This record gives sequence, C-alpha cells and structure tokens, in this order.
Amino acid sequence: MSEIETFRQRARAWLESVAPAFGKDALKGLSEAEHLAAGRAYQAAKFAAGFAGIHWDPELGGQGLTPLHKVVFEQEEMGFGMPIAYFGVSLGISVPVVLRFAQDRAWARERAIAALRGDEIWCQLFSEPSGGSDLAGLRTKVETEGNGWKLNGQKLWTTFAQHSDYGVIIARNDPKALKHKGLTFFWLDMKAPGVEVRPIKLAAAGHDHVNEVFFDDVRLDDGQRLSPVGGGFATAMATLMIERYSASDPAGFGPTTATFVDLAKISEINGRPAIADGRIRSAIARSHAMRAGLEAITTRAMRMMAAGMEPGPEGALNKLVSVRSRQKLSELAIDLMGQLGLAWDPLASSKDDWVASWLAAPTGRIAGGADEMLLNTIAEKILGLPQDHRPDKGVPFDQIPA
Amino acid sequence: MSIVYDEQQQAIARESRRVLDARVDKARLLGLLERTGEWDRTFWDTAIEQGWTALAVPEAQGGLGLGLIELGLVAQASGAATAGAPFLTSNYGAIRALAGLDGEAASHWLPKLASGEALAAIASAEGNAVLPSLPTVTFADGRLSGTKPAVTAGLSAHFAVVWASHGGEPALVLATLDGVARRAVDSFDNARLFADLDFADSPASLLATGDAARILALDILARQAVVTAHEQVGGAEALLFIARDYANERKAFGQPIGAFQSVKHRLAELYGLVEIARANAIHAASIEGQPGFVAAAAAARLTATEAYDTAARDAVQVHGGIGTTWESGLHLHMRRARSLAIEQGNMLFWEDILVDELAGASA
Repeated sequence: MSEIETFRQRARAWLESVAPAFGKDALKGLSEAEHLAAGRAYQAAKFAAGFAGIHWDPELGGQGLTPLHKVVFEQEEMGFGMPIAYFGVSLGISVPVVLRFAQDRAWARERAIAALRGDEIWCQLFSEPSGGSDLAGLRTKVETEGNGWKLNGQKLWTTFAQHSDYGVIIARNDPKALKHKGLTFFWLDMKAPGVEVRPIKLAAAGHDHVNEVFFDDVRLDDGQRLSPVGGGFATAMATLMIERYSASDPAGFGPTTATFVDLAKISEINGRPAIADGRIRSAIARSHAMRAGLEAITTRAMRMMAAGMEPGPEGALNKLVSVRSRQKLSELAIDLMGQLGLAWDPLASSKDDWVASWLAAPTGRIAGGADEMLLNTIAEKILGLPQDHRPDKGVPFDQIPA
Repeated sequence: MSIVYDEQQQAIARESRRVLDARVDKARLLGLLERTGEWDRTFWDTAIEQGWTALAVPEAQGGLGLGLIELGLVAQASGAATAGAPFLTSNYGAIRALAGLDGEAASHWLPKLASGEALAAIASAEGNAVLPSLPTVTFADGRLSGTKPAVTAGLSAHFAVVWASHGGEPALVLATLDGVARRAVDSFDNARLFADLDFADSPASLLATGDAARILALDILARQAVVTAHEQVGGAEALLFIARDYANERKAFGQPIGAFQSVKHRLAELYGLVEIARANAIHAASIEGQPGFVAAAAAARLTATEAYDTAARDAVQVHGGIGTTWESGLHLHMRRARSLAIEQGNMLFWEDILVDELAGASA
C-alpha cells in the first residue's frame, strides 16, 4: 500500500474513533455556544492526534506532510460532519498569511499553535458594503497617527467574526492613489477598543456565521502591518492563493445523488414510481454524470500532486458547477416530496436535508467568489479572453464615480 | 481511478495531433459532405501508417495490445480535426467482440483489423431503439435475415457484429458482408458511411446468446461509447479554442467581442463542460473491463455529448453570421456532433443505462 493510502487509513480510523463525540449525530440540537465548544474540543483532539496543520512546518506546530495529505484527510473528514467550520478561514487563510508576513516571528508562531489547538480563532476582514467581488472598491480608512495607525469604517460578511480573537484586514490608506495602490494590510485584535461585531441573520437556517464589523478609531501599531504601505492589494491576492488545494465536494456541500435516488425510489408521481419517470431519471443521470466528472478532476489532480506535478486549472470548476447543481437538484427533490417538502427543520444539515440544502445554496454561489466572478476568472486566466471594460482603472480612487 | 497520462501516452496524443494537423484538409472534408458513400481514405491511410489500426489488437494477433486509453487519445485528435473514419470506433467494437474467442473467426479477422485491411461495423440498433430487447433481424441455422437501418460504417465494412434474435432470445452474431445488399443513407454527415444492411439468408456465426449476448453487446457498446466520448471531447475542445480565438480577434463596439461577459461567460461555461467530459472519458478508459465500467462509460458519454453539442451551438453563435457559412467549416463540427451523438446510442439510452446502474435495473 502506498504511503498516502496508509495515511488515509490511519486518518479514517482516528475519525471513526472520535465520531461518536463530534460527528453530526453528536451535534444535533446543540446551542450555538455548545456547538462552538464542541468545535474547539474537536480541533484540540485533532491537534493532539497529529491531524492539525498537516502540511505546515513542524516548527509552527504542523506535521510537515504534503498538501496531498491534507486533502486526503479533508476528504475523509467530510463525511462525518465534524464541527470544523470555525477554523476554515482561520487556519486556511488568516494564520498562514500572518505566518508569512508578520514582523514578530515568535509571536506569529505562538498564534499559529494556539489556532491549531482551537484556542484562538482568526477571521478575514475583506468584504465591505461597497466592495465584495470588487475587493479594491473598499472604503474602510486607515490613517497614520503618531507612530501607528487609526482605523475607521465597516466590514461586511465577516465569517465568524463574533467568535474571533484576531483578524487580518485590508484598508485604504490613500484615497488619492489609484484604486489598487492605496491599500494596506494589517492584523487586528478583535477585542481591541472600538471594534464592534454584529452578527447577521441569514435567510438560511442554522447558527449565525457572518457579521458586520464596525471600527471606530481603532488603534493599530505599525508592527501589525503585514504589507508595504500601499502594497496591500498584492498581499490580499497572495492570501487568496494560499489555500490552493482543499477537498471539494462534487455534491456542492449538499446531499449526494445517491440520496436523491433513495428519495426517488420511495416516491410516486401520479401513482407511478418516480424512479421509473423519465424526467426524474434524466435528472439523476445528468447530475451523476456531471458530479462524476468533478470527482474525476479531483482524483486526477491528486494523482498529479502525488507525482510531484502541478494540477491543472480545471479544479477551479468545482465550486461553480457543483453548487449550482445542488441548488437545482434540491428544488427538484422538494418537488418530488410535494406537500411533505414544506416541512422545515431549522437545525437540519445541508448535507442530508433537501430543504436546508436549498435554503443555504445561494450563499454557496456567492461566498468565496460569486459564480459570475469565477466565470470571469476562467475566461481571463484560463482561456485568455480580455478583461471587462474597466472605467475604474488608472483613475485615483477618490475620482471614480461612486 | 482515473490516471495521469504517462510519457508513451503523451507521445501518442502529441503525435496524432501533429500528423492530423498536417494532413487534414478542410476543403476535402467539405467535399465529402456532398457525396454519399465516400469517406476520407487519406485518414485511414494515415491510421494504418501510424499504427493506430493495430493499437488495440492483442499482440498475439499482430497488434500492439494497448487499449481504450491510447485509442481514446487518437480518437480525441481525430475529433479535434473532424477527421476520422467510423472504423476507428467500430473496429474497436469488433476487436472486443473477437478478442475473447479462440476460433477461426478471431485468427482470421484480428490480424486484418490490425493491418487496417479489414473494416468492421457493429449493427445493434433497429428503428430508434439502440439495443432492442428482441431484434427483428433473426439468426437460424447459420443464416441471418432482416434489415439493420443506417448502420455506421455499414457501406464499406467487410464484416459486422450483429444484434439479432435467435429462437426467441437475443443473440450476437458475426456476419461477413460479402454479398449482403447495402443501401447508402444520404446523411447530413456522409463520411460516416451509414447504410441499411439487408441480410437475406446471409452466412453468419453465433458469438453469444441470451443474457450473455446482452451483457456482451452492452459491453461492446460501452467501450465504443468511450472511444466516441474522446472523439467528442476533441471536437468540443477544438471548437472552444476556435471560438475563443475568434472572440479575441473580432471587434465590435470598439473592443474585442471576447471582452463582453455574454461571450466570456458562454465560453467559460463551455470550458467547464469540456473539462468535465474529458475527466469522465479518462476515468472510464482507465477502468475498462473493471466493475463500474458501464456506469463510467455512460457518464463519459452523457457529458461528452452535452459538451460537443453545446460547443457546436455556441461556437457558431460566437462567430455570428460568418459561422453559418459553408466556407467557415464550423458545420463540419456541428454535423459531427450530432452524428456522434446518435452513434453508440443516444443520450436517452445512456441516461436509462446509467440510472439502471445506480438504482438497480428493476427500477
């Protein structure tokens, strides 16, 4: 057996051993505070068992293995429904960027280990009311004050800001500079005076996870700066490239096609078995075929990584294609259930409940790159088509028509 | 399972693309569209010269003993060039039908398939049924009777593997086509040599009967479907690039039309369809003959058909008026996309096969 398969088996064995404590059945009906506590305890157990920071430097509390090992672990972990959401941004984006750019190395190492143990959580403060897909349209202002900085403004859609100890943030230091040039990148203490977090209630069920964050004269030391002054946009872009490889779900983080087949097998349409109905059969076949393709893309990428090669850019398709498919299949499943599909359990999981999956699907098509932005990226970066017409290019930020 | 192509496979892909780029002549292909019953012999000469005809024939019978992965790469290059001959796929079906046999038929035909002298057809469909449960073509006492309509490669093939009835059960039989009456079908894609085959007490021999025949027939069809899926991926990808290049070059309203999101997004979506189909085709080829192969072949077939049809539709659309002209040649792909969508079974057939595999055939 290959070394990676041995690792997969070891991971699965460990996951099975802790599933009774942290798996989706154990989490049913927990309050928000209990759920977060379970998340921290699971992360601590992961760290103790040597499955946290799998591809990180051992000096920083990691395991020193490859990104492939990390993806393999995530693939195995996905099916158990463990409470991992709190640490996705923290360990996937924020802490790695701090480790790469922080001026105080010893401090960064301390934070990394605390984050790997689940003791501390980091958020990423990028999106704003006036800058989501258009990140560089952001207006949160940072000005020099004494030998440090002063932060004012508002961020939006900040995942788990309400549980975060720290965050990384990009803000505008010079509104007279070109749009992408007047930005600077910092880390921030989320408990500092002047930081206010307000959770946003989303249409979809479950505990709140996104927030508005307001800054009122928040004081930053220059030592918290993670980019050159005015060089923050490049750092933000580097941030988005850190987590190049992560496990994807061909079901778009919704129920599997097999779950749909099970529903079709127990349903009837006009008195006839739904599984014999051509419309349902077509939907099953198309959905399976497309998802099988995504799965094959992932398998091939992993084989390339194992061979020391760079996987192709087609991995970028995963989220775009799978979440849309999940949204439509969820609608069809509710159709298939008819009146029975009207019932709603606000705490049901998107992975096995069609209504929960359908209600939360829009978030999946917007967060982490809206469909339209992903299509632009594919068109421009992979196919080599021109950028859109950009009236904001080459213009000082304060002269761009608002 | 899926695979990463090794060096030999990459060389086959590169070399087949290079040779076909140099030799395929659009004017010649356009000419074939207007003549019923002719095909691209230049392509077949190239296939023989390059050893493509021998690729998948067992070594003991004069072949190279390779399989779907390698043949798929040649099919992909052929699809990109709208080159190809129907025999690339139908000969492979025949190789698989014969490879399990010890008898005279195998030792007679396999070396000839390897050398490219022999051309085969697979005749399963009747009416609009891909694999009818009880075919009207019947086999009895070593003789075959009845008509198979619009058989791909039927006009020039030397022998055929035929889906027939035998004493109230389905059967797969092998028939030489000497003396069998054939009528060329005047088609929108003439180079595929579609022909009605009229068997009238034609000599034939039994390959399999009953359930075994059905399993073998579906297996042959699935293997051919994976060859075709590669051909479709090649065609779809070629169209994607043709449309992309045109969108970068053609200007309207003061900028390349490729700068408009309606065009960009159309092409980005097409890229997605092509890559999903490619991944499915590679995966299916890599598990040939293993459990799950039929489902993988069905997935490859469904996504490849969707990719090629969509590419044909969208590439013409991106070109605007010029794309609708005879000269542009885009209709070579558009026609091929549809002929390949029907050969080896349409989407409706493969959707049902796939759901049977996923939910159980009793469903």
